[in-house]
Formats: sequence, C-alpha cells, structure tokens
Amino acid sequence: MFEIQNLTARYGPLIAVNDVSLSFETGVRMGIFGHNGSGKSTFLKCLVGGVKDVSGAVAFGGSPIVADQVHRNVMLGIGFVPQVQNVFPNLTVEQNLHIAGSKSDSSFLEEAYALFPLLRERQDQLAGDMSGGEQQMLAVALALMTRPQILLLDEPTAGLAPAIVKNVLESLLRINSELGTGLILVEQNVLAALDVVERAIVLKGGRVVFDGASEELRAKEDLWAWF
Amino acid sequence: MEYILTVMVLIGINVVLATSFNLILGYGGLMSVAHPIFYAIGAYCSGLLAIHLQIPVPLSILIGAGIAMVLSFGVSLPSLRVSGDYLVIASIGFQLGILHVINNLDFTGAAGGLTNIPVLNEGPSRSLVFVLLIAVVAACAVLLVAWIVEGDYGRAITAMRNDEEAFSALGRNAMNIKIVLFAIGSGMAGLAGALYAHYFAYVTPEQFGIFTSAALLTMVVVGGAATTWGPLVGAVLLTTLPQAITFLGLPVSIMAPLQGVIYTTLVIFFLFARPQGLTGGSRGGGGLEAWSASAAFRARRDAE
Repeated sequence: MFEIQNLTARYGPLIAVNDVSLSFETGVRMGIFGHNGSGKSTFLKCLVGGVKDVSGAVAFGGSPIVADQVHRNVMLGIGFVPQVQNVFPNLTVEQNLHIAGSKSDSSFLEEAYALFPLLRERQDQLAGDMSGGEQQMLAVALALMTRPQILLLDEPTAGLAPAIVKNVLESLLRINSELGTGLILVEQNVLAALDVVERAIVLKGGRVVFDGASEELRAKEDLWAWF
Repeated sequence: MEYILTVMVLIGINVVLATSFNLILGYGGLMSVAHPIFYAIGAYCSGLLAIHLQIPVPLSILIGAGIAMVLSFGVSLPSLRVSGDYLVIASIGFQLGILHVINNLDFTGAAGGLTNIPVLNEGPSRSLVFVLLIAVVAACAVLLVAWIVEGDYGRAITAMRNDEEAFSALGRNAMNIKIVLFAIGSGMAGLAGALYAHYFAYVTPEQFGIFTSAALLTMVVVGGAATTWGPLVGAVLLTTLPQAITFLGLPVSIMAPLQGVIYTTLVIFFLFARPQGLTGGSRGGGGLEAWSASAAFRARRDAE
C-alpha cells in the first residue's frame, strides 16, 4: 500500500507538487492526469524517490521512500518506467533484460518473453533500433524484471501511433490481471487511459482537484475543462 | 639506442594512462579531465616516500598507486552530484587545486620539481629492463580494462553511461560503479606516475597540467574511446608524433605551440570525420559514437 502524507516537491522556488495526501492499494489501476506543468510527472517521480527537494512523507508497504535513492526504493517492489530514455540503446534486447534482472532470478527472462513474445524475436537487436512501441514494451519488461508489486509509468503512450497505443495499454491490463501488478499511469491521452484505469486523479497547480472513479471523470460534461 | 628506449618507456606509460582514462571517460562516460593529477599523486607520493622515508622503491610505487586510488574520491564524489559540463568544471578545479598545493610546498620541490628520486633499477641494461617492465604493466592495464568491461559488469557500465535515471529505476546503483571506475582508473594512473618518477628521477608540476589532460583526451579520441585497443594506438601515435616532429629542426618557439595545434586539429578532425576513432568499428562499437548514441536515440524518439 502507498501512503502519501502532505507531499510537497520543489524545483528551486517552483512548487511542482503542493501538499498532496493520498493512499492506494498495491493492485490498483490508477491514472494521474492534468495539463502540462500540473505536477503529475513530478508526483510520480516522488513515489519512487526521484525528486530531491521534497517534504512530507511517502511510504510503500510501511517502508519510507527515501528521496534521491531510486535504486533502493525500487527494490521495495516498485517498478518505474520513465517517460523517455527508458531503454539502453547500445545494448541488445536480451542484454537490456539482463541488466534489469541481474539481481534477480534468470527465469525472469523467460517470463518477460512469455509476456512479450515480440521481444524474444528481437532478442539480438539493439534496443535503439526498435520502433517506439517496441521500445515501450521493452521498457515495461525491464521494469517487470525487478518483480514489482506496482508499476509506475510516465506517459507510456507518448509519441506512439494510435494502434500501438492500444497494444501497449492492453499489455498493461494483461500484466495487471495476470500478475496482479498495480498500475499508476501518468497520461496525456486521457480517453485511452480512462479505459484502463479504475481510479483517476487530476492535478492542477500541483494540487489534487479530482480524486474518484474513472467513470465519474469520464461522465463529466465539462471533462476537458479539467485539463 | 638510449633515446629509443626512453621513447618506448614514455609510450608504455602513456598506454597505461590512456587506457585508464578510457575506462573512466570512454566506457564510464564520466567527463573528468583531472586524470593527470592522479598521475602526479602517484609520482610525487612514491618519490617522496622513497626520498624521505627510504621506503624500498617497489613498495613506494605500490603505495603511490594506492594513494592515488584513495584520493580518487576527490573526483568521484562530485560525480555523484554533477555530470557532463559541470563534472568537467569540478574536475578542473580539483586538478588545479592539487597542482597549486604541489607548486607551493617546499617538500614537493615547489615549481622547481622533485629531484633526486631513487630509480627503480640500475646497471648497463637499466632502460631495456625498464622497457620490458613497462611493457608488462601496459599489457596488464589493457587486459584488466578489457576484462572489466566484458560481461555483466561491462554491460552495467554501458547502461549507466547510456542513462543513469533508467539504470537506477532498475534497482542498480550508479554510485558504486562510478566510485569503482574512478578508483581503478586513478590507481592505474598513479602507478604510471610512480613508474615515471622512478625512471626519470625527476618530476615537475607542469607535467601534470591541463596540457597533459588535452594530450590524454586526444589519445583516447584518436585511438577510439570505449574500445580495447584505441588508447593503445592513440598513445603510440601521440607519443611518437611529437618526437618525430623534433627531427624537422624547427625553432623551439614554433615547436611548443605546434604540438598543441596538432592535438587540437586531431581532436576536431576525429570528432567530425571519424568519431569512432582509428580502432572503433561500426555503430555501437565504441568511440564518441557510443557516447552520442543515447542522445541521438532520444532525439529520434522525441521526434516520432
């Protein structure tokens, strides 16, 4: 379970996340939405300790998330997929997966290939040569190699063609249903993401302005006024 | 003959220096230019221990290398906070700071340099024996770096160089890798410095300044950054080229700046015409292309 109390995150004088308190279960499917600069990516990074200047408290499974210690926080069972730069372009697909799984059981590799058969076909290809959608699959597979209880994904569909967006989101749903891994999505593609998540949070100016069921957000007549 | 053997000693020392610099800069992507200061620390510490404490030269050489390894924290710790241009600036500050100290202490010989350093070996075949020794040390340095960058650890170094944030997101600790790379690379530089001091018996602060940083950078870039043999080729080329120029018989006022002009021209030429260096292969095979691969990859992805 994630517990967030009075979380505030700053970049110098700029307050990106402002006094946010939330809690959610590990297996949740949750979307975080908001316009550019609303603080949603910063909020996601705070959940894994990726922002240095923070106050308040974030805990996962009772363990505190320590700022600027991403590599340790991840090992608590949090998978993190950054928006860009989330695969290693100079390494092959299999080498990428080995980097991620080198602290874990080698059988994880087979599980990753079972989830994403395309990656097995491309195992000797350099990650930098793959298409955007394939790289996103690899990025998710990399995060899964750490055996997370919950996956944090920063705009997993950014820059992808609509057909590929559908594939990526379906893969995430499959991960949630088959492995029980929770999903926290930061997304600009609100309508597509609302099909996947069950709870939606909208941030504005770093504050939570909506927290409810995804259907409730979708039903709002003034939906786009929220962003 | 003695001249040729001395040039071969310099080549061997530069192979160790360039190979260790390649580990930090080429493979690790850590933009520190302070490498010559660890060369200096090895030379001065080993020389001072042998002069003032009468420590046997082989032991003082090892201690000198060890001190350089320990003092590498002076650069590896800033690298945990800053990277890229900022690390270059921090490393220049570290280099100039230590050189300033050496320049102003009496017991280091100050600007005049440290003299009367005991030599490692004596006798009629002194230089030949030293050449064989430095050849073995250089071969060990190349093999050690090749061994480090092979396998899982080498791939982890590449991944860290590609993207530190993504690397940390997989539960991997970039900090440990940086500290290890700086410690090993600096220790090797310290060993090269100690060997230099106990062969030439004389060192001065000006040998370890920014010009030496530029020379080492040129060796790595021209030979091929992030390649096994690149620094070796670069060191051989960039050590013999200035020696060859001396045979042109040009006045000293032209010779000195000419060396700098050659280094600058070579770096610029290779940056544009052959970023993989002389020994780098196709893309992903090393050289500056390996550094720029992730930047190009990000740009392409952002454009999609």
